[in-house]
Amino acid sequence: MDKPVLQVRELRIGLRDDSAVNLVHGVNFDIARGERVGLVGESGSGKSLLSLSIMGLQPTAIEVRSGSIRVSDHEVVGQNEKYLDTLRGRTMSMIYQDPMSSLNPVRSVGNQIVEAIRAHDSGSRAVARRVAIDLLGSVGVRDPHRTVDNYPHEFSGGMRQRVMIAMAISCEPKLLLADEPTTALDVTTQAKIIELLDDLVDQRGMSVIFVTHDIALAASFCSRIDVMREGEIVETQPTAKLVAAPRHPYTNALLAAICTFDTDPNRPLLSPIVDTGTEGGNSA
Amino acid sequence: MLVYVLKRVGSSLVLLAFISILIFVALRLLPGDPTTFSLAQGDGVSPEALEKMRRELGLDQPVFVQYWNWISGVVVGNFGFSYFSDFPVGLLIAQRLPATVTLAGAALALAIVIAVPVAVVPLWLRSVWLERITNVFVALGLATPVFVIGILLVLFFANFLNLFTGSGYVAFTDDPAAALGFLVLPAVTLALAIAPQLVRYLQGSIRGVAEATFVRTARGKGIGWGRTVSNHIVPNALLPALTSLGITVGSLLGGSVVVEVVFAWPGVGQLVVDAVVKRDYAVIQTIVLLAASAFVVVTLIVDLLYGVLDPRLRVSTSQARAPRSGDTSVIKEASV
Amino acid sequence: MTTLKVGSTRSLLRAVYDQPSVIVSLATIFFIALISAFSPLLFPNPDEIDASNRLLPPSPEHWFGTDELGRELVARMAHAGQLTLVIALGAMALSIILGVLWGMLAGSHGWIEEVLMRTADAIMAVPMILFALVFVAAFGSSPEVLIVILGILKAPLVARVTRASTMVELASDYARGLAVIGLSKGRILFAEILPNVFPVIVAVATLNIASAIMIEAALSFIGLGVQPPLASWGTLLKIGYSLIYQAWWYALIPAIAITIVIAAFNDVGKWLERYLDRRVA
Repeated sequence: MDKPVLQVRELRIGLRDDSAVNLVHGVNFDIARGERVGLVGESGSGKSLLSLSIMGLQPTAIEVRSGSIRVSDHEVVGQNEKYLDTLRGRTMSMIYQDPMSSLNPVRSVGNQIVEAIRAHDSGSRAVARRVAIDLLGSVGVRDPHRTVDNYPHEFSGGMRQRVMIAMAISCEPKLLLADEPTTALDVTTQAKIIELLDDLVDQRGMSVIFVTHDIALAASFCSRIDVMREGEIVETQPTAKLVAAPRHPYTNALLAAICTFDTDPNRPLLSPIVDTGTEGGNSA
Repeated sequence: MLVYVLKRVGSSLVLLAFISILIFVALRLLPGDPTTFSLAQGDGVSPEALEKMRRELGLDQPVFVQYWNWISGVVVGNFGFSYFSDFPVGLLIAQRLPATVTLAGAALALAIVIAVPVAVVPLWLRSVWLERITNVFVALGLATPVFVIGILLVLFFANFLNLFTGSGYVAFTDDPAAALGFLVLPAVTLALAIAPQLVRYLQGSIRGVAEATFVRTARGKGIGWGRTVSNHIVPNALLPALTSLGITVGSLLGGSVVVEVVFAWPGVGQLVVDAVVKRDYAVIQTIVLLAASAFVVVTLIVDLLYGVLDPRLRVSTSQARAPRSGDTSVIKEASV
Repeated sequence: MTTLKVGSTRSLLRAVYDQPSVIVSLATIFFIALISAFSPLLFPNPDEIDASNRLLPPSPEHWFGTDELGRELVARMAHAGQLTLVIALGAMALSIILGVLWGMLAGSHGWIEEVLMRTADAIMAVPMILFALVFVAAFGSSPEVLIVILGILKAPLVARVTRASTMVELASDYARGLAVIGLSKGRILFAEILPNVFPVIVAVATLNIASAIMIEAALSFIGLGVQPPLASWGTLLKIGYSLIYQAWWYALIPAIAITIVIAAFNDVGKWLERYLDRRVA
């Protein structure tokens, strides 16, 4: 049996300066090879913090208090930057919410992709450049031979996100973390990006953590959904089961809040949640 | 875009007009004029001679006429005549300008060479204690007046080590080697006086950039902290720090006045000090106006340049703006 | 009813803990201020000439050594310190009075704001030494004149800060409420807004003292500030520098004193800025 690509055990995250404040309370979950897991919750649920902490990119005010994170069987918690750098980009990679501010404005797009490649590959600059151009092509950027030297602000939002994706997959990571990758994009572009991710992830056999507040979006992309609320995973199920028969009232509320074209306009969108504790267990 | 440029240039011109009026009026607030000071040295000077001098210098005219005569001349490059030396002010300044420009230029270059590593290295090594030490030195540097720096350097190098002399000057074109020897102490003095300010500005803009999301992206690629600093943080921090160039130029000019006195450096600073002693208003007002103009012009150019580059950096500027000329928090600290 | 936004003892202690140097700086300032203030008592004869003891280096008998006329340098320094501090404090006071009025006027009356702030910009565009020199050329450099010059020099800074605060306060609900009740603008400004603006001004004032000391010392050092027979630390430094090869201590001691005092005021000023910033935020 393959070891899981990601193993999280009893992870606790909180404020560095205030031990009373905890943001993630003892989270456990696994991700197998090729599995796509959606991490769904509202703002403040801790889902972004969780994914950032896996990469070791949590804000300086936040720290991992205890627990274990194993990426491809490498322990990540408590490691120094140098060690984490060997894993970042190569074993695990991340794409972020706002593609404009997430790219260096004074360096060309090609320069930034090449930088990602050469961080883990000792090939020549010329080879890396060719790889970058190919990558741009495979993520759907038009005319990559020319646009590789363009600056981020010369691209549209959707294109920038494609660039980010190209950068992230350049070293063939086993785990891809996607932190609200389509939230800043319009609906049509969102659909195209999801489609692109779908193809790429399949081709390369990557595992994905898809962080989002949009449960419908997660349902369309992920094979399993973990619902997070206030620092805890309250339910985890394969997508189809979760949508058909949610066990936790919070999940229920999330699903009920989805608007479709035939939603009754007079029906209240939010209904009070009756709490009955965590349901669904882990998929360990 | 063009409208913005015109507006900025226009407001700079208005500011310069205000400055010129301010200087002109300030010099003439007290009753009495240069004639009473100059010829008073030789008693027994006839009233007719005083009157003649007054008429020659145009001092018998109403103040605003005098102002207009001066300012209309300045605009075309005619700065009038010195009240005491029969030389045109422009010529006097031109004679002294190379010395001051050499000094200021060398000091600025040195200051940048000092300030950039001092600001970047503690971040690069991520060492908290190094950052604390840097802050102590910067605070000390900001508190140390430029003439104290000069005196300490003279004490140490000229007095104890006998390496350089405390004064002297040779034009670069005459004897480059000797000129450099005389330039060292004054330039280092002025550079050490300016550098702490630059470090503060750089630290400010670096702090702004370090929080940016693209820095997180860079780290996320696994390129290493060193590369993150050199390729992502520093390049984005340099441009906002540039907005402090106007204030830096102002400090350079102010500092060079004192440095030139300390080291007997024959520049424009010495000229203005002599002019104050002799109450040669013509020289004083022109030099001070030129100094203020340098500040206004440099600030204008930097602002316009920023406006040109702005669309490219629209996102990072909001995160990484260093103190601009209107921001007082950094320049509140004592600096000459 | 005005509320002075200053804060609890706990936040004060926390602020001191974050920057402990402020205690040392305050102590230094008090020490030097005390010595200077009591200099006539501690050192009653600063001008006692003793020709046989000229230019002696520091020793147990002559703590700071002696000057070119045999006078005790420590006595001279104490008395000169008084003048230095008096000029700086006077300049600070003037800059505050002038600047606050300036800023409040600019912040509350739109029609005159442009002119007032342009004038402030104009003054701040001129390098400080040069600005001072212009006025010295016109008015001379007696201590009173120096106080006025330095006060005017630093007033625009105070004006800017005050104007910003005034505009913020005037826009607040309670100020609007007072206007509705019928309080005149003047009353609102002085009775209600000023107390809330004041904490910010205190920080600027402290930094202004440091600045004034530095500029007065620079002017005196180049011979265009305090004139003999009066003495400030800057004038002592000037004489000391002229004798630098014979009497290294004569230049070093005033230099160190000036630097320490400026650093101390800067430190306290920055601390006040941070502490009061926290309160407002």
